[in-house]
Amino acid sequence: MNLLLVGLNHRSAPVAVREQYAVAPSELSGLDEKLVRSSGIDEAALLSTCNRTEVLAVSRSPETALERLLVFLRHELGDGSAGPSQVYELHDTDAVGHLFRVASSLDSMVLGEAQILGQVKQAYRGALEAGSLGPVLNRLFQSAFRAAKRVRSETGLGASSLSVGRIGVQLACELFESLAGKKVLLLGAGVMAESALRGLQEAGVERIVVVSRTLESAERLAGRFSGRPASLDSLADELSDASVVLSSVQVDRPLLGRAQLDVPMRARQGRPLLIVDLGVPRNVDPRVNELENVYLYDMDDLEGIVARGRAQRGAELQAALGILTQEQDRFEAWRTRLPLVPTIRELVRHANELARVEARRASTRPELAATVSPETLERLAEGIVAKLLHRPLEQLRKEAEWQGGLYYADAVRRLFGLELEDDSE
Amino acid sequence: MTHLAYEVAALLYLAAWGLGLLARRRGRGARAALGLLALGAGLHALGFVDLHRQTPPIPLESFPTALSLIAWLMVAAYLLSLRIAPIRTVGVWVGAAAGLVTLGADLALRWRAPEVVEATRGGAWSHAHVLLSAAGFSLLALASLAGLAYLAKERQLKHKRGLRLGLPSLEGLDRFEHLALSVGFPLLTLGMVTGFAWGADRGLSPWTGHTLWLLAAWVVYLLPVGLRVVRQQHGHEPAQGVVLGFALLAFSYVGIRLLAGAA
Repeated sequence: MNLLLVGLNHRSAPVAVREQYAVAPSELSGLDEKLVRSSGIDEAALLSTCNRTEVLAVSRSPETALERLLVFLRHELGDGSAGPSQVYELHDTDAVGHLFRVASSLDSMVLGEAQILGQVKQAYRGALEAGSLGPVLNRLFQSAFRAAKRVRSETGLGASSLSVGRIGVQLACELFESLAGKKVLLLGAGVMAESALRGLQEAGVERIVVVSRTLESAERLAGRFSGRPASLDSLADELSDASVVLSSVQVDRPLLGRAQLDVPMRARQGRPLLIVDLGVPRNVDPRVNELENVYLYDMDDLEGIVARGRAQRGAELQAALGILTQEQDRFEAWRTRLPLVPTIRELVRHANELARVEARRASTRPELAATVSPETLERLAEGIVAKLLHRPLEQLRKEAEWQGGLYYADAVRRLFGLELEDDSE
Repeated sequence: MTHLAYEVAALLYLAAWGLGLLARRRGRGARAALGLLALGAGLHALGFVDLHRQTPPIPLESFPTALSLIAWLMVAAYLLSLRIAPIRTVGVWVGAAAGLVTLGADLALRWRAPEVVEATRGGAWSHAHVLLSAAGFSLLALASLAGLAYLAKERQLKHKRGLRLGLPSLEGLDRFEHLALSVGFPLLTLGMVTGFAWGADRGLSPWTGHTLWLLAAWVVYLLPVGLRVVRQQHGHEPAQGVVLGFALLAFSYVGIRLLAGAA
């Protein structure tokens, strides 16, 4: 059984490509079902977040499955705009390690963020509903969840994670003594802008103004954040008393330039203004940062802060990687033993069947029938079988961890004349 | 006793500075640093009490004693201001400045005892001048520390040097600077007026190198005061004005004496 993973993420592809491959949570289950019906794919699960879209599959014919997965990702999930270098393919151990890192947020843009575990669980639930999970993926996801929980509880990564929301709050705290009573201007909306806005709301921001191209869309968004809607025409007025601007609009050229900020900044009398530009392409002209009392941070700046945070937490990262290695070893040991499972199951079944037959035969003998019940004889026979098989099975499992199990399994099948449904397993 | 109190106080101020720097790295120990500052200020005050008990008393108007008074007032004003504008990080540099000034004043006192005769000639004007000027000077020193911190922090934020810069928020620094300037500038002005009155009382010319530089500093201070009071301006420009004003003020008081001594 081979494990395969294909996908693209924030490191391999820019946001403009990634968004073409995004899948809504409600669509996950249907797509999993479709995928597992494809030939050569035995198990499948689809993971989609703002930073990644990945398909995980288990297959007995990896070449066919890989081809199918790539077509599925490129043309059925996305629009085919991702180039070959933007899509990665991972096999077996690499795929396992990748999922463990993703679930533990070690592969996230924001190291230690908590949301990703929830998103991986969502992917698991979607596949479970679709019935596209088998023993391998089921076990893999459970192992990934355990690894992620250990990383959060045994290292300091989770406690000091830098989410976009948290970075937004920390940046705001560098400028303002308190966020209570401060006004936040939200231009457009996106997952990260919402995360940042939620972070600011938790830190005490109460005045939220949502600016959109049309008042209707502004009203719709403002309703979600208990904010006030405003149209794009009133942007200059709104800027004059705002403290933080979060911008995440799909635009071809910057929405805010020096010209738009000159007049509002004069009215602000030197009070600082933080602009967090989460848009790709950028919503704010980078020269705005040259204006006095304006502090502009775009995605590259945020990523720089995250990278510095990551470097500062090298020891915690090492500890987390150590945990992932332990958990991955555990999973791999289980996976190596997996081909033995049908053999072991069949051997136990075969031995118990023989024992039961012999017990039943013995129970018909007159000298035993009067003193011992058939059930007692069956239990006795099964007990002897269990004791007899205990050591050989233990040894078989142990050998399986060192790749010797397949030879032992073959020997057992030959010695006991076991017939398996599928010999390839 | 005075020397011992000054020296221990100076060491405590400097220890508060060191501990404050460590606290910034470790994220704890800031309260202990404040405790050291407060302890230093207490001992420093005992030094002043002892100074006045000496026979003959060492005049407060003497340069080293006035410097020591400025350092003590700076620490006291900072500790009091924590209730209004709690920006602890500035305390690190208050400790450094107060420690060095106190140590310098103590060495100057040990090197050459001030002439007693000066104290008897000024009367109320001299005391008013020294106390008001020292209070104004110390508050403007705090304002300039906050202004410097503001400009440094602004630079770091503009150049995206990451989070946890170890300085208070821009808004906090701005408020602290505003507060220190609002109280310090009127006190300095009153100190100057009483100084001129004291000079006139003694029949001295009001136009010396010290008074001319002092006037220049006062004029420069009009810029941040005007920006803040008249135009309600915050941020970069007032911070620059406060730093420049204090540079001139420090020169008028210390620099000019050092130059005269060198000559």
